[in-house]
Amino acid sequence: MPPLSYLIWLPALCGLLSAIVPVPRTQRTREHVIAGAIALAGSLVALGLAIWVIVGYRAGAGLSDVTDTKWIGALGIYYKLGVDGLNAALIGLTTLLFATAVLASNFRMRTERAPRARLYYFLFMLAESAVLGAFLAQDLALFVAFFDLMLIPFYLLIGIFGSGDRVRATLKLVIYTLVGSLLMLAAAIATGVLASQQHGTPITFALSSLQALPLSKGSQEWIFLFFAVAFLVKMPAFPLHGWMPDGYRAMPTEVVMVFSGVLSKVGAYGFLRIVLPLFPQAAVHFQTLMLIIALISILYGSIVAFTQTDARLIAGYSSIAQLGFITLGIFSLQLQGAQGALLGMVNHGLVVAPIFFIIALLAARAGGSEDIREMGGIAFRAPVLATIFLVVALATLAMPGSSNFAGEFLILLGVFESKRVIAIIAFAGVVMASVYALRLFIRTMHNRVSPTVKSRELGLGDGLVLAPLVAALLYLAFYPQGALHRSEGSVDSSLAGARAALVEPAVKPGAPSTLTTQQAAAEEEEAAAAQEAQESAR
Amino acid sequence: MSATTFGWLCLACPLVGTLVIAALYPKLASLPSQTAGWIATGAIFLAFLAALGALIKLQGLSPSHRETTSSLWSYAVTAGVNARMSILVDPLSVFMILVVSGVSTLIHLYSISYMDRDRGFGRYFSYLNFFVFSMLLLVLAGNFLLLIVGWAFVGAASYLLISFWYRRTTATRAGIKAFVINVVGDVGLVLGTFFIFNHTHTLEFLATFHAAPHVFSKGSGAITAGCILLLVGAFAKSAQIPLHTWLPDAMEGPTPVSSLIHAATMVTAGVYLIARMHPLFELAPAAQDTGAIVGALTLFIAGTIGLVATDIKRVIAYSTMSQIGYMIMGVSVGAYAAGLFHLMTHAFFKALLFMAAGSLIGAMGGEQSLNRMGGFRKAMPFTYASFLIGGLALSGIPPFSGFFSKDEILLVTVERGGWHWALYVIGYIGALFTALYTFRMIFRAFHGEPVTEARELMAGHQHHVDVPTNPATGEEEDTEVGFPGPAHTIAENAWPMRIAMGMLALGAIGLGLLQIPRTDFVIDHFLAPTFAGASGYTIHEHTAKLALGLSLGTLVGLAGIALAYRIWVLRPGTSAAAQSRLGLLYALFSNKWYFDEMIDGLIVRPAAAAGRFASSTFERVVIDATIVGGATALVGAGSTAVRALQNGLLRYYAALLAVGVAAVGLYFLVQS
Repeated sequence: MPPLSYLIWLPALCGLLSAIVPVPRTQRTREHVIAGAIALAGSLVALGLAIWVIVGYRAGAGLSDVTDTKWIGALGIYYKLGVDGLNAALIGLTTLLFATAVLASNFRMRTERAPRARLYYFLFMLAESAVLGAFLAQDLALFVAFFDLMLIPFYLLIGIFGSGDRVRATLKLVIYTLVGSLLMLAAAIATGVLASQQHGTPITFALSSLQALPLSKGSQEWIFLFFAVAFLVKMPAFPLHGWMPDGYRAMPTEVVMVFSGVLSKVGAYGFLRIVLPLFPQAAVHFQTLMLIIALISILYGSIVAFTQTDARLIAGYSSIAQLGFITLGIFSLQLQGAQGALLGMVNHGLVVAPIFFIIALLAARAGGSEDIREMGGIAFRAPVLATIFLVVALATLAMPGSSNFAGEFLILLGVFESKRVIAIIAFAGVVMASVYALRLFIRTMHNRVSPTVKSRELGLGDGLVLAPLVAALLYLAFYPQGALHRSEGSVDSSLAGARAALVEPAVKPGAPSTLTTQQAAAEEEEAAAAQEAQESAR
Repeated sequence: MSATTFGWLCLACPLVGTLVIAALYPKLASLPSQTAGWIATGAIFLAFLAALGALIKLQGLSPSHRETTSSLWSYAVTAGVNARMSILVDPLSVFMILVVSGVSTLIHLYSISYMDRDRGFGRYFSYLNFFVFSMLLLVLAGNFLLLIVGWAFVGAASYLLISFWYRRTTATRAGIKAFVINVVGDVGLVLGTFFIFNHTHTLEFLATFHAAPHVFSKGSGAITAGCILLLVGAFAKSAQIPLHTWLPDAMEGPTPVSSLIHAATMVTAGVYLIARMHPLFELAPAAQDTGAIVGALTLFIAGTIGLVATDIKRVIAYSTMSQIGYMIMGVSVGAYAAGLFHLMTHAFFKALLFMAAGSLIGAMGGEQSLNRMGGFRKAMPFTYASFLIGGLALSGIPPFSGFFSKDEILLVTVERGGWHWALYVIGYIGALFTALYTFRMIFRAFHGEPVTEARELMAGHQHHVDVPTNPATGEEEDTEVGFPGPAHTIAENAWPMRIAMGMLALGAIGLGLLQIPRTDFVIDHFLAPTFAGASGYTIHEHTAKLALGLSLGTLVGLAGIALAYRIWVLRPGTSAAAQSRLGLLYALFSNKWYFDEMIDGLIVRPAAAAGRFASSTFERVVIDATIVGGATALVGAGSTAVRALQNGLLRYYAALLAVGVAAVGLYFLVQS
């Protein structure tokens, strides 16, 4: 097994290489090809490494492939990385989306004039490293560092390479995320400091150590809120999504693919990795609040999505709704819900990236406009494109049979078990999803041909970009268990504290967590035995 | 091979068919023109053979062992959820796969000719095979999750085929309407599953049914809520009030699609669902009553609309709604075998009626209005005979198959006693309507003075329109893609259509023989193992009552035909006179009881208005202006900074970042 550091830093290294590799003066016009090829190679090797790590991870093994070095000893900050059920699938998603996005960039730059391609690839690959770092970090300070590092290349990618009102978009993004990041930084520092004060231990930021040093309920609560704001901005969730419309419209296609596909997941992942294990009592305390925010995100995102005419915004607002489902699953504080949420994160990444890519393809066929009123009838000469879009659209609306449905089913089942009324209201979002997803499909692919539309089939390059995403989508549709069985143990231990606090808010979280896992295991065994007895009775 | 192996084979055939056609898609143009159609038909026929294999294997087992399950892999097994890729092969599912694959084979065959000139020929057959796969998955599913998957796939296939001619805005609108209402049904199904899973902790059917009597007390809130939510799913798929509005609009699809999906198979899924879930429904009498009442209301209301609708396909669609009303009522009052028997006979005669209507529409050059038709009896004798056989079976005239199935449902209903006699009366009023609107179609389309199209056909020319128009809007069709254009095939000229219709006609005539009172009751006996635990499942030997019911049914049917004859043949002015005399009723019926307007006003418009408010006002005023605007000053200051960054500092900044990151990265690469 390669050290996880290789996986994290390889993309950045390749990005750096593509930025500084000497290009002969005669080849200057082909600069972007060389830079792109290096970046592509890096992203593909990263994908390979990620698959290696995922395949090598044994379900239920806990934290594996740990790299643990002191970083800043005096402050108790460790360079600690590790893979477990929570992040295994997500690093797969990250490397897959980045690889396809880099591939798409390569193809795009062949046809378009591509100034500053070296810088573009450098920033892009740096972003990949930072995202992977955020997913793999097992130290709170390291997580915060990667989380902030992740944003910088995106600010620049939008500010420099964006289209439309990119300055305004960048500024909104900077303001929102900066506020979130600062709050998170303060909260992270406070977590370390308060934990050491309250327990009289030397300061540490390693997550495993912090989990054993639970904070007082009062401290947990305000720290929880700080983290929650940072993560909800990132997702985004209502009402913290103000940066999203301008941001998504301004981003280059490949950037919006990874931004919506991967970065939004870092927020949701943060809840599972950091918030629930470290602040279980606060999670229980604010459960209803978070569920209501999630619920409003679902309903609000959906109704806005089905009145938008800008295709990107339909996808953007639908993401708010779908991330709402994911939040809902996490804060059901039930194993089913959280398992569904984790599956949902992977699923959402796998549908939203192809959707943004397909929107770009559609715009190229509709005279450059991303307005669905100017599209229509594109399916005619493009049966393959139409089929792929249909598959992705049906997965987006979480049609049963897609992995998205398996995720949503588990999420809603979890919420149903904990807060029944919220689950029932959330089902309205399921119905509305079918309206906005099909509306997007029909208005672009079907109906009369718009005057500006020139229908043509998917190019080979476009097909190469979409194929791995659709293949992953179909694989999970037939076998969601492939993602679920690795994560069950880790999700269970992430929830253990909160579930203990749910049962008996007075007991100390952390300590009884092992007990509840044992209890749950015992219960499961009992249920299995009962079922066997039933079956033999037949 | 075991029965379940045949079950898996039965599922695999149409799926392989879909994939093969899709894989061949780019080459279809160079292959013989009907290749896709024959591949698809062959695949479904193989599925039918597999279903027969399952039947034989199942009958070889002793009755108490005829519930066999098989699971291929774990689909989603986590956190107490046990969803596996599993099927349940028992008499009920075998009954269903036989009906589905059998009728589908014939409709595929019919489609080969009917869709011959259509530019979307290959696409059509890959969708149609996918539909059959979905429907088979629905009826073979061994657990709730897979049932829901089949349920939704069927809805998606139906959507694809309704908006098959996707350049028509009426077709795409009908498609999204059908899809969304079906998603409402899916939601009901999922939520109902949650209520049940919450107590039984299993998704497997057999384990659920086994556990249900122990974990639910009869009539408890949870089981009642669960079953009523399952009913929501059943109502949406089976076009029962108030979730029926998509079905008439679904007639936008090609006619064989209406025949297969919107008459013979998919829309009966609700009946199957209630029959499959009978151990649960028996614990929830309130849900059973709801099903029975809604079924009765639907059969009545749909019958009244059928009396005044003028589009021939819509008349048959309302008739379908009405007949499914009988079935839903039947399985809700415990007449499981009778309901399912009616499902089977209805599949035959209704598919036949649609096929005959398709032939008629072909002869009319795409025109569907009864007002424009007339006198086709001599011009299209084969079509006429088929339509007449289907019509007689639908009206319940002996010895046609509908005669045996409908009255058995009504008999069991009245035996429930109490207020069920009201349903019994409604059932017979509905039967009168059925005979009336059926023969209204026959007399108006086939009798009377031949219209131009009919005369042309008798002279040997099939009518063609030069410029095809959308019958719903009068808009000129975009024939570049998918639409058949001016050429239409009619049954009189195409042997595959004649074979398909002939076989269905034989079924419509003869299938009743399976359930002759006191003689065989084949269906009752065959299904008995599935319904062994059902309290109301008795095989009716009390022939006196049944004979009374059958003769009453015959009389009502004949009265309806006689009345139709009087109104539309003897005194052609009667209909217009009745319309003006009963103006209010006529307005109610011809406006389809205003269901579309109600749903539009109560749900669609408010949702759209909320969406517009959120998009235009709330986003701008609250999200953008308040939250972002609070930081306007920051924005102003920041923009200057960013501009500076963009102009000069950018390279410096990027370089700094690169060096820093590289240093950190190198450090750790060396360290680790």
